Amino acid sequence: MIENMNKAVKGFLLGLVLIAAVLVPACRSKKAPPPPKVAPTETTSSVPNVPVTATETRVANPPDFVQTQTTPQVTTETLPTDIEELNRVAVTRGYLQDAFYGYDEAALSSDAQAALTASANWLKKNPQYNLLIEGHCDERGTEQYNLALGDRRANSAKEYIVALGVDGSRIRTVSYGEERPFDPGHDDAAWAKNRRAHLVIAGR
Amino acid sequence: MTLAALLIANSLLAQTQVRPEITKQQATTIVRVAVPRPEGVPLEAVENAFFAPLTRDLAASGVFAIAAIPPNVPPNADLAKAANADFVLSLRFRQEEQDYVLAARLLDTTGVTQFGKGYRGVAVALSRMAHMLANDLVREMTGKAGIFLSQIAFASDRTGHFEIWLMDWDGSNQRQITNHRALAILPSWSPDNDRLVYTLFTGGRSEMYIINRRGGGRIHVQTALGLNTSATFSPISNEIAFVGSVSGNPDIYIVRDDSSNLRRLTTSYSIESTPEWSPNGRQISFTSGRSGTPQIYIMDAEGTNVQRLSFEGEWNDDATWSPTGEEIAYTSRVNGRFQIRIANVITKQSRIVAGEGSNEQPAWSPDGRWIAFQSNRSGRWQIYRMRTDGTDLMQLTFEGENKDPDWSKKAE
Repeated sequence: MIENMNKAVKGFLLGLVLIAAVLVPACRSKKAPPPPKVAPTETTSSVPNVPVTATETRVANPPDFVQTQTTPQVTTETLPTDIEELNRVAVTRGYLQDAFYGYDEAALSSDAQAALTASANWLKKNPQYNLLIEGHCDERGTEQYNLALGDRRANSAKEYIVALGVDGSRIRTVSYGEERPFDPGHDDAAWAKNRRAHLVIAGR
Repeated sequence: MTLAALLIANSLLAQTQVRPEITKQQATTIVRVAVPRPEGVPLEAVENAFFAPLTRDLAASGVFAIAAIPPNVPPNADLAKAANADFVLSLRFRQEEQDYVLAARLLDTTGVTQFGKGYRGVAVALSRMAHMLANDLVREMTGKAGIFLSQIAFASDRTGHFEIWLMDWDGSNQRQITNHRALAILPSWSPDNDRLVYTLFTGGRSEMYIINRRGGGRIHVQTALGLNTSATFSPISNEIAFVGSVSGNPDIYIVRDDSSNLRRLTTSYSIESTPEWSPNGRQISFTSGRSGTPQIYIMDAEGTNVQRLSFEGEWNDDATWSPTGEEIAYTSRVNGRFQIRIANVITKQSRIVAGEGSNEQPAWSPDGRWIAFQSNRSGRWQIYRMRTDGTDLMQLTFEGENKDPDWSKKAE
């Protein structure tokens, strides 16, 4: 049995070698040295990080945004008068972007800073609106401590927006703790969505 | 008109002196009592409203065990003997217009009345009558009244919004006392059992309100701070401890119930939350993130002399003192799930009262024998009750989601 199998395998391998012998010279005749295959794959795998670095530089430099603001404002865009509709539009067009947090954290990640920077820019262009920042937590903590944690999250977002030049008297905060989750699920994806500072236009 | 006004209890007989055999039974032995059906009215008239809660109370009292009743024996001393019981509880009703008038007698095996009392009330007061009788029988045996008239406050969303609700200790008589149609949570009883303080979210703000147990007399406690959560009445004064926040720094504050004399007790930059007074009002427990994770601490009511109580579990909260002040129950995360933990205040030794699902927000009964808490073991938050060793578990709520239980401070 084994002998037979060995024979079969040997035969198969011999076949492969023969095919290779035919193919390799054919390749060579077209292109002289085949480039090492490892190097290019490594380069491409490091490429996707570029947008993240770009975002980080922008955030670390708030004055840049004050400058970009000097370019003519987008006044052609009409904003809905109904406040609920306005809030919907603000989300879909990215005028206001929520900040997301790590577990039991109120510190702002670079993504959260980018979201708040975009929101601050829109608020500066539209000084007629006031903002309510809601602090939210995932369900994995306790109700009472999470109310306090949500307060800290909402205020960390407020401080950042104020530091970017938005008048603090336009912004109020409230903490809902884990009372009003955005995603009712009980997994990591749902929890990540529920740890946020939610920005709401609260009227003129 | 309150139920209390509808119901009059009077001493049926000159109270017999407590006999030696009862004194002996005060220790730990369970008293076996036979409770035959009430006489004098059709059973249907009093079965659900009176007889069921009475037998439930006695069975859960930790003092009485209900003896099975043999058929065809009249409710007298012979029945006690036939049922191998220490006593027989004779219940005789008569109706006078709207009133149910009850004569309750506890007879021993020799036919001597050990306890006798009359009660009178309209039909809606029958369950209250049952709880009063059970309280009196427990007092007769132990010298301390039962807790069968105590109330559990909680938050329920069964109307579509979280509102403040009350229920009897056995889950019956559930009734809504706020109607904000917003988000009302975390009710806490006043020491006289007459008022509740809670947090209301409305108009993008969270504020403290006080309401009386009938749902009237609402007062807004103004602080000019954020949060206004975890409010709790002092057991000895008209002050309220709560969590207030300035610029995202939640701390423990105290304010009078007329919104005056606001002061701050904690000053650390970490998150402080969930204050609870010791029964003598001299100390306050709270949760702090100052060590890196939420842990339980105790301080004097002036904010001084802070000491850490919890060292096990990476997330602890919801501390609440037993009525004697010897123990603190709190929510403690163990292997990724929240469980009720009970710690000795002096030795700091603690034990887990294990249960299915996540179990949070413990609340002691006024006699310290029971803990109400919320659990998501059924898939939704519901309120349960258990003995402090985890036995005799009973689910109290079933409709909607129910949470934030707080047990009234006085037994009656």
